[in-house]
Amino acid sequence: MDTSKFLLIFKREYITRVRTKAFILSTILAPMGLLILIVVPIILSSVQTEQRQVIGIQDETQTVLIRLLEQNPDRYQPLPPVSADSLRSMVLSGSVDGFIIITEEHITGNRSPELFYTGTGGLSLVSEIRGDLRAALQNERLDRAEVGETVRNILAMRTSLQTRVLTDTGEQENDTMSLFFVGYIMFFIIYAAMFGYGAVIMRSVIEEKSSRIIEVITSSVRPFELLMGKVMGVGALGLTQFAIWSVAGAGLLALAAPIAVLLGGTAEVGTDLNTAAAQADLPFTMPSIGAEVWITFILFFLAGYLIYSSLYAAVGSAVDAESDANQLMIPLMIPIMLPLLFIGNVASDPNSTFSVITSLVPFFAPMLMPMRVAMTPVPFWEIALGLLLCIITFTAIIWVSARIYRVGILMYGKKASFGELFRWVRYN
Amino acid sequence: MSVIQVQQVSKSFENTHAVKNVSFDIPKGSIYGILGPNGAGKTTTIRMINYITIPDTGQILINGRKASAQTQREIGYLPEERGLYKKMKVGEQLMYLAQLKGMRKEEARNSIKGWLDRFDATGWIGKEVGELSKGMQQKVQFISTVAHNPDIYIFDEPFSGLDPINSELLRDVILELKSEGKTILFSTHRMEQVEQMCDFICLYRNGENVLNGNLTSIKQSFGKNTIILEFDGDHSFLSGMQDVRFNNKSNRSVEIIPDAGVNPQDLLVYAASHVTVNRFELIYPSLQEIFIQTVKQHVS
Repeated sequence: MDTSKFLLIFKREYITRVRTKAFILSTILAPMGLLILIVVPIILSSVQTEQRQVIGIQDETQTVLIRLLEQNPDRYQPLPPVSADSLRSMVLSGSVDGFIIITEEHITGNRSPELFYTGTGGLSLVSEIRGDLRAALQNERLDRAEVGETVRNILAMRTSLQTRVLTDTGEQENDTMSLFFVGYIMFFIIYAAMFGYGAVIMRSVIEEKSSRIIEVITSSVRPFELLMGKVMGVGALGLTQFAIWSVAGAGLLALAAPIAVLLGGTAEVGTDLNTAAAQADLPFTMPSIGAEVWITFILFFLAGYLIYSSLYAAVGSAVDAESDANQLMIPLMIPIMLPLLFIGNVASDPNSTFSVITSLVPFFAPMLMPMRVAMTPVPFWEIALGLLLCIITFTAIIWVSARIYRVGILMYGKKASFGELFRWVRYN
Repeated sequence: MSVIQVQQVSKSFENTHAVKNVSFDIPKGSIYGILGPNGAGKTTTIRMINYITIPDTGQILINGRKASAQTQREIGYLPEERGLYKKMKVGEQLMYLAQLKGMRKEEARNSIKGWLDRFDATGWIGKEVGELSKGMQQKVQFISTVAHNPDIYIFDEPFSGLDPINSELLRDVILELKSEGKTILFSTHRMEQVEQMCDFICLYRNGENVLNGNLTSIKQSFGKNTIILEFDGDHSFLSGMQDVRFNNKSNRSVEIIPDAGVNPQDLLVYAASHVTVNRFELIYPSLQEIFIQTVKQHVS
């Protein structure tokens, strides 16, 4: 390979893209999109739903309703002692949204109360009523049994489980939830990157072909130099984007503490992030992400990028227009999308045999391995083996893709079938 | 000395035998025309000379060395299907393409500046190619072919799609390059252009080289067997002529190719008895006629 030509191509691919509006916009919008995907559901779930369903209670015990009203006065409403049928018609006519008949048996026996309702309000309504009833009935039973304060306190006690991860360098407190969160985010960033940058490569190959400049270029450089320059140039673009996001992210985190202090008002300057986050009342603590996670992420991003981008280039070379590429894209999209089916299993037990094996398969490893490393300590040999398999795979794939590419870029007119692509690989 | 030597070259794709055992030499400082109908194998041959594709068998020598990434630098190639990066600026694009041909930055800048000046195109340096008119794009494309100052120029259908002004400009530049001792290969199916400009030709038909050599000697080998007839009067008398073929028939003139054994004098007498004859001349056959005869010969 002629290095000076490779560098010229690399530079052009990189510089012409890094200057485009599309690059600047995607650099700004992608994290905002991610942030919106994460933050909006959190905000929405914390906002109380405006619509209140009113549940009528026909209380034959005269005690449970009072307790319910103490807990949640807007939710419940006493009902006159009429027949169940007329209660039904009250629900259907809309004067209440549902009713429960509470009898002595519900306190003394094991029978559970029944809620008759219109079916609106969703799961949260049912679980809210269940919680209220559970507390009201428990308190009533405790009162009747004349249980003392000590026992009540014991019953009210809640036990949570703190986790500490032991490593060679010492123990470290870890918020498992937020680690999983980081793992998920890494998975989706790489997943999106495989599609996004792959499409950039494919479009660029098709553009050179359809604008016919390819013949001018190939009269100056070897197709392999062009392919490598393109793949590396767009790869460098991806790394630039990650670098910008990392720097911006680190900056935001550094700002987060003082801002949290401003919001919280009480903490002293120099409090660490987690305290600040706790004071700002965030739903999770800021996870501290180790260097090994970042390094794994970058290495596997590159490995996955090299595997998929050269395949996208081969597909691009085999067609005249982007709209013709769909059929050839399918075998490419399947290995990218399959890990979506595995993330549940991998997240629930990142060290299971299933997780280990799927995260070693070269086509899935770029997405699953960084996710596992973020979620749990992974033995070094697994990471190394995964990376090695990826390197072997992309070497083979780049070789095959380059052979398809070199023939495809000069073929116009007909849509190539898989059989033809296979034959192109064997041309001299 | 031969600048380009094509030696027993063959190339096949899938089901088509695009080039079959073709050989020819292009002498230094000449204008060499590859002729033939569309799909005859001209572009495939040109791509192999450019080392874009590689022959299945046979070899191609450029200045005595086998075609390779190195010999690519000695060639400037204008493909039949023109193309540039639409979103790239003219100046950057020309610099990029010249550097890909191995030119140093400073050299490339001077050369490009010279050509842009010559084509009154200096003002376009900062414009994206996509913003230019078609004629302007053709000039930029041409500069991209010649900017690295190669020894060999390959123009595939160079005049197709050119407006008259650009055609004239291109013709001047080609003749000027020849006078500087450069070698020019061009491919076309327009016979009259070849006839005006080429020193040597080779004819392609179905992937085969059916005729090649010096244009003048090829013509002489066919003998003065063509009659140019110019006349005033009703041209319908022509349909009464026996054992002849016509080329370029019009209201006032015609090229007559008599079959073997026909005496041209009889034709003159016959013509004079119907119309006023302004010109009656025996000449060497036109390239088109040579082409038709050669192709026929190979069919039978």
